[in-house]
Amino acid sequence: MGVAVGSPQQGALGGTQAHAKDGSAGFALAKLEELVNWGRANSVWPLTFGLACCAIEQISAAASRFDIARFGSEVFRASPRQADLLIVSGRVSNKMAPVIKRIYDQMSDPKWVIAMGDCASCGGPFNNYAIVQGVDKMLPVDVYVPGCPPRPEALFYAIDKLREKIKAEEKLGVRE
Amino acid sequence: MTEKIIEKLTAKFPAALKDHSEFRGDTTLKIDAEQLRDVASFLESDEDAQYNLLVDIYGTDRLNLGQTPRFAVNYELYSIPKNSFIRLIVDVPDPGRNGGTDGSGRFGEPLPKVASVTDIWPTANWLERETYDLMGIEFENHPWMHRIMMPDNWVGHPLRKDYPLGGEPVYFEKDRNNPRFAHLGKQIMAGPSFETELPEEMDTNGHMVLNLGPHHPATHGVLRLATELDGEKVVRVTPELGYLHSGFEKTGENKRYEKFIPYCDRMDYVSPMNNNLAYVMAVEKLMDVDIPEHVQYVRVILAELQRIASHMIWLGTHAMDVGGTPHAAPLYCFMMRERILDIFEMVCGARMTTSYFSVGGLRWPLPGAFMDAVRAFLKEFAGYYHDYHVMLTKNPLWLSRLKGIGILKAEEAIALGITGPLLRAAGVPLDLRKVRPYCVYDQFDFEVPTSTDADSYARYTVRMEELHQSMRIIEQAIDQIKPGPYRTADRKVALPPRQEISTSMESLIHHFKLVTEGYLPPEGQVYSIGENPKGWLGFGLISDGTAKPYRLRVRGPSFVNLQATNTMARGGFISDLITIIGSIDIVLGEVDR
Repeated sequence: MGVAVGSPQQGALGGTQAHAKDGSAGFALAKLEELVNWGRANSVWPLTFGLACCAIEQISAAASRFDIARFGSEVFRASPRQADLLIVSGRVSNKMAPVIKRIYDQMSDPKWVIAMGDCASCGGPFNNYAIVQGVDKMLPVDVYVPGCPPRPEALFYAIDKLREKIKAEEKLGVRE
Repeated sequence: MTEKIIEKLTAKFPAALKDHSEFRGDTTLKIDAEQLRDVASFLESDEDAQYNLLVDIYGTDRLNLGQTPRFAVNYELYSIPKNSFIRLIVDVPDPGRNGGTDGSGRFGEPLPKVASVTDIWPTANWLERETYDLMGIEFENHPWMHRIMMPDNWVGHPLRKDYPLGGEPVYFEKDRNNPRFAHLGKQIMAGPSFETELPEEMDTNGHMVLNLGPHHPATHGVLRLATELDGEKVVRVTPELGYLHSGFEKTGENKRYEKFIPYCDRMDYVSPMNNNLAYVMAVEKLMDVDIPEHVQYVRVILAELQRIASHMIWLGTHAMDVGGTPHAAPLYCFMMRERILDIFEMVCGARMTTSYFSVGGLRWPLPGAFMDAVRAFLKEFAGYYHDYHVMLTKNPLWLSRLKGIGILKAEEAIALGITGPLLRAAGVPLDLRKVRPYCVYDQFDFEVPTSTDADSYARYTVRMEELHQSMRIIEQAIDQIKPGPYRTADRKVALPPRQEISTSMESLIHHFKLVTEGYLPPEGQVYSIGENPKGWLGFGLISDGTAKPYRLRVRGPSFVNLQATNTMARGGFISDLITIIGSIDIVLGEVDR
């Protein structure tokens, strides 16, 4: 990452310590884009939102054994206004589809979507009248996670992939 | 005892009983549609019958069977005092057809009609609504005949045989903007499904209507509760379901019998083993297969482990809902659940969607380290079980949030068709493992915990004691289990061993037949119930002699139990509604199916 830290005595690019031993506050230089991306990528807050079986694995991922807090995503927010990440964890029915669309619209930018599991990715085993064949029919999906249900490790891999994606975003993630 | 009832019935209503039959221990009575209500109230109130628990109502579309009339309604009844099941089948007269239409109800044609039994068994309310929604049979004098699973503006009735399975192709291509794929995604309804109708008796002017869900952290899934409030007091709760309706029954009717097993996992996804067990028991009942004793013991051990795991989810989320209790409780619960999932992973490779039981036995033999792993788990769990008690049982916050909240008395519970821990917490010691033991549950010494307080705290104590009893059952089972074959020797059901295929022509043929065609159960109708952690999971199967079930019915215990929300929550505070939902222990996958 292109963030440079230093102290006034050492000059902008020469230093390696943000806080020099003499007590001066120090300073950091970075490209705004990268600094913002760095902050965003390390605090992806998911929405407290579960649909079906995958939601239970999502809870397991948040519990002590797997501990999603290691990736800065332990703050599950109940309000879409405060969430960055929508994890669609389960099958999306026709009746639920407009509701999910509305929840996604209520989330403030920047926002990302993980389609967790086969059902959210492509309908899974439920190719029938009731289930929408993949949530990507109505939302832009950033990462797809295969598995029925995916293990918590698979969800972490997806979050890691999403962090990579966020870090590489240009123009502060403004989409035209 | 059913002979006596049939005798009495014919004496009292000579024209009502058209036929009666026995198949695999199920008694079926064919009742005339005109006299359904008379017969129903007789069966409910007569002292020799006392069929006080209406287990299930489901419709049948006999279009492809060539029988007339086309529709029939099945009523599964159970008598708690007499411990007896009975099934009523009512042929629904065909509606008049206007101008040669197909009678499918798609364009406002009349639907077939039958009398409602809601006033005899209040639990019929939702079951009849579901039958109306999915099968298109109308129930006269029903309090609110309205769709329950599908959106209000849905056209048609999906479980009818002339209604296609639906679905659309899925292309795994990167290009979203390709016009080739423009026709996809048309299943999504245009209208906003969250603005559905409310019952007429709801006072939307004088009272405030608060919409809890479908996305709410405390509803345990996608459930919507339209709550009518007078200040902070709950006047009426109207649950709105169907946000996770996945068409399990229709899917099952388009799959071979054994291929539905993986689907059961995804119904009540916190207790897949119990679901598998209930389903394979239903198919085994239909086919009359003998199961080796070793298999029965393994099934009991795994089912009881799953019961503990399911109760762990209940306890964790319930404690989280109550909120005032230490937030550590869910983490402690999930830790023990993880241990059980490790055992499942060892057994079948999957944490949650196990599909380990197959018709006729188990999918694979148990791994060698299984018994030691279960013993180690029991030892560890005993300590944690003690911790849960220390954390919650006498915790003043826990007591004040649960004691005297959400009262559901025995007679109300029975009328609403409640089963499982909710019914036992109301003082009715009804546990299928005890009253009609399946597998080898009669070999074990265990108690059925009950309570007479009938409140949320009683449901907590009953479930906690069930955890203890499950531990006892598992301990006894691992002491008593003996090695043996892991599936039945009946080659018409279970695959022959690999080495036999290379030596015996007959085995090769069986193998080929089973893999390409599946097994062919005899024609008939069965209904089989398993005692799940949440209540009775019922499977109804109607076979027409082919490899696919003609009609597959699933009775989800959460679906029926959820109907008690209004009874339990009205008159209380809105904050107690949350703890009540937690104490019912629902899983939306099973509610909506």
